[in-house]
Amino acid sequence: MNHNRNCGCDDWHVSRRALLGAAADNIVGIPEELLTDGPAAALTGSRGITRRRMLVGAGGLAFAVAAMPRFGAKGLFEAAAAAQATADPNGRILVSIYLDGGNDGLNTLVPIADPRYRQLRSRIAIDPATTLPLADHPEFGWHPSLTGVKALYDAGKVAVMPAVDYANPDQSHFNSQIFWRTGVVGQSFDRTGWLGRTIDALGDTTNPLQAISMGWNLDPILQSRRAPVATVFDPGGFGFYIPDVWSDEAALGPYRGATSGAKSKARKAAQQAYRGAIDVFDKLAPLRAQGDQVPAAPVPYPDEHLGNGLRNLARMLGAGFGTRLATISHGGFDTHDQQPVEHAQLLKTLGDSLVAWQADLDARGLSDRVMTLVWSEFGRRAEDNDSNGTDHGAGGCVLLVGNHANGGVQSEFPGLTNLDPNGNLLVTTEFRNLYATLLESWMGVDVGSVLPGVDARRLALIK
Amino acid sequence: MSKPIARPPSRVARAKAERLMWRAGFGAVPGDVDRLARAGTTAAVHELLFPRGPQLRKGPEPTVDGRPIDPVNVYGHDVLWWLDRMVRGRHQLVERMTLNWHDHFATSNDKVSDSKLMMQQYFTIRSRSLGSFRKLALAILNDHAMQRFLDLDNSDKDDPNENFAREFLELFTLGVNNGYTEQDIREAARALTGFTYDYNTKTFGYDPDRHDDGVKTILGKSGRFKASDVVNLAINHPKHAPYLCKKLWGYFTPRPCPPGTLKKLVAAYTTSGTQIRPVLQMILTHPALLADLGEPDQVKPPVVFVAGMLRKTNQFITTDSWTWMLDNMGQRPFSPPNVSGWEQDEAWLTTASVRARYEAASQTVRALQIKDGTITKTQTPAQALSAALRMTGRPWTSSQSRAALSRYSRTSVADKTADWQQEHYWPERLRVLCHMLLAGPDAQVS
Repeated sequence: MNHNRNCGCDDWHVSRRALLGAAADNIVGIPEELLTDGPAAALTGSRGITRRRMLVGAGGLAFAVAAMPRFGAKGLFEAAAAAQATADPNGRILVSIYLDGGNDGLNTLVPIADPRYRQLRSRIAIDPATTLPLADHPEFGWHPSLTGVKALYDAGKVAVMPAVDYANPDQSHFNSQIFWRTGVVGQSFDRTGWLGRTIDALGDTTNPLQAISMGWNLDPILQSRRAPVATVFDPGGFGFYIPDVWSDEAALGPYRGATSGAKSKARKAAQQAYRGAIDVFDKLAPLRAQGDQVPAAPVPYPDEHLGNGLRNLARMLGAGFGTRLATISHGGFDTHDQQPVEHAQLLKTLGDSLVAWQADLDARGLSDRVMTLVWSEFGRRAEDNDSNGTDHGAGGCVLLVGNHANGGVQSEFPGLTNLDPNGNLLVTTEFRNLYATLLESWMGVDVGSVLPGVDARRLALIK
Repeated sequence: MSKPIARPPSRVARAKAERLMWRAGFGAVPGDVDRLARAGTTAAVHELLFPRGPQLRKGPEPTVDGRPIDPVNVYGHDVLWWLDRMVRGRHQLVERMTLNWHDHFATSNDKVSDSKLMMQQYFTIRSRSLGSFRKLALAILNDHAMQRFLDLDNSDKDDPNENFAREFLELFTLGVNNGYTEQDIREAARALTGFTYDYNTKTFGYDPDRHDDGVKTILGKSGRFKASDVVNLAINHPKHAPYLCKKLWGYFTPRPCPPGTLKKLVAAYTTSGTQIRPVLQMILTHPALLADLGEPDQVKPPVVFVAGMLRKTNQFITTDSWTWMLDNMGQRPFSPPNVSGWEQDEAWLTTASVRARYEAASQTVRALQIKDGTITKTQTPAQALSAALRMTGRPWTSSQSRAALSRYSRTSVADKTADWQQEHYWPERLRVLCHMLLAGPDAQVS
């Protein structure tokens, strides 16, 4: 895990989440050989046990046997999972995709008609001729690798907002991340995230899968006060593993009998946390039982963190666990040097993942219920640097994707003639107003409890 | 020459020693429990407050894949370096207070971007962790990681950065809205100008020309104050001592500090000239700390949980997994989430973090090397459980957990009669028993 820290940032930043996630990826999980080799698999392989458990847990063996011929095994598992769902089955869902590191908005939605663009970006300007046109906004062009986003935009499913940030933007990753995650600009001792408070406001105190942090540690955005939240990347890999213990169920052995009876607040919290984790494990049993027999997505997802995460999330949404919120990050946007190649690849993954995601949601009949927010902690400096990259700036480019996103360019682009004192894009739209709009018009949540003090401005983002 | 065999200490005495070492350190190493239990709480606290001898006990240096760690240059090794000091540290209260002060003077390498500066800050704090708070605060003012973190470096008289001034009053000395005004922050920021940092040479300095040497009014006093005056003015403020003493109390017990006790803590603190030791002495011998030994009431912070697990099983740092595991548990040393440090107590425990704690125990059980075929069929359920208790340093267990463990110990191997099953499932039972003793709900609290 060597990492070069001389990135030239004001505050060094790796996509720590991504790095640690990658490390975890290599270590966490049930070794497959234990499930397929030797007598253990034949007798007590975890699949056999979990499948049995699931069938009993989902309404009895009779249902399972009766349903089997009609749906086939795969269909049955998802149907059984759906039957377990308790929360509002038609609840609207908000998914956050965080572009970790500060996405260069100016090279995402390129202001091709702005004469200053080519001057400021003398080293890394995108040739206007190669950008992908927006029919109703000839002054912009999409980055050439955003074919996916262009297709969704042309279908009226993308609201794009250039120059979203907050007043007097702070160019430190650390501070800006905290502000965007908490929904509070300036100092706050509240460590809850704005989506964590949203899940608190939605009121369910029992179902951890109502909010899913797609990763290995809890996304700070989803840090709640009371409501339980699940952290899952791969529903098939969410297990309880002890080396040389041949099944998850065996590894949970005595744990299942030790989750109640505490008196102190501290020990109650420990038992509650275990109950939540075991609950997630049990609920995911139908998906785990699919093993690698996961039905193909209608459009293949890029085989990368974002693509795989969204594919996994679509499976969980399809299983009907009552999920209302989910978050995932797409790392590597801190492009201080050699930006053109890296940024193109990152945007291609983003666009292709979004296309696969929307198609998957369509196929599952979910696309009317899901809204996807794509954001970053800041945009980058208007002028490029000597290393073919860009430094930290302000005024990020936000995308909102979904059947009910109000397609079009939905915030004011201030142009590049007048920049702020740090040479950054001026901010025309405050991100908290964007959040407030999503809470009110999409999630149906009272803004006051989630974003105290936010003003009354709202954006035309939902149709 | 054989020593006479000492009578084993009482269960209550052992429980007190265990509690004390979890709160004031990172858990007692197995041999120490009986020794401290015999010595009694007063003597044990004295030993914690006035440690002697080498800082680290015997044990292998930390390694990753068999090679020495490189905490300055390799991502994540800084965490292992500190964790090792907790695990091998003999001066447990010094190590624990260094962690507590890191939470109090929270500084994150996510912004500082220099592990060497962070490790220097560790020593800045460690060497002053039990002494004078005034000296500690002055050292923090001059600490380079802190200067970078709160933008004290290059704060200029023409444009004073208020970041350090604000946090210094708000978090480090007085408490939020507790006896100071916005004007005090602005004036303090003026006094704190003049520190410099050269990005190219990475050198820190002080430039008198950049310092505002005019008259300032801070906390009701006026004068041509300089940076160190801000420290003294804040510490001399009447609201400082109660704020700090209460905060110190909170690190050791989640119970509210009784008003009478707080008065005594404040008196000890002020009459000693801001000495931390006498305050800790009173807290660590207070009945609240040793109350309800049968129902622990404090959640172990993640690093305490991990370091304690390694100490109890006599293991050392041999993998970098601890770095991401601690991150998944929500406490990565050198990277507190913000300037107000980590949220303590029940907030540590979520469905995600508890799973990370579970995984940490899996790592530890692996290192116990309970091999297939090493346990005979004659091992009774009770024997299996007592073997597991022995291997995990005899942790406290609740009656519910003991029942669950006993039941599991009986049922898990009941139908495993074939030879190959015995080869595997008897050791598997022991692995699982050890695991829950290390990471079950009871193991999360002290």
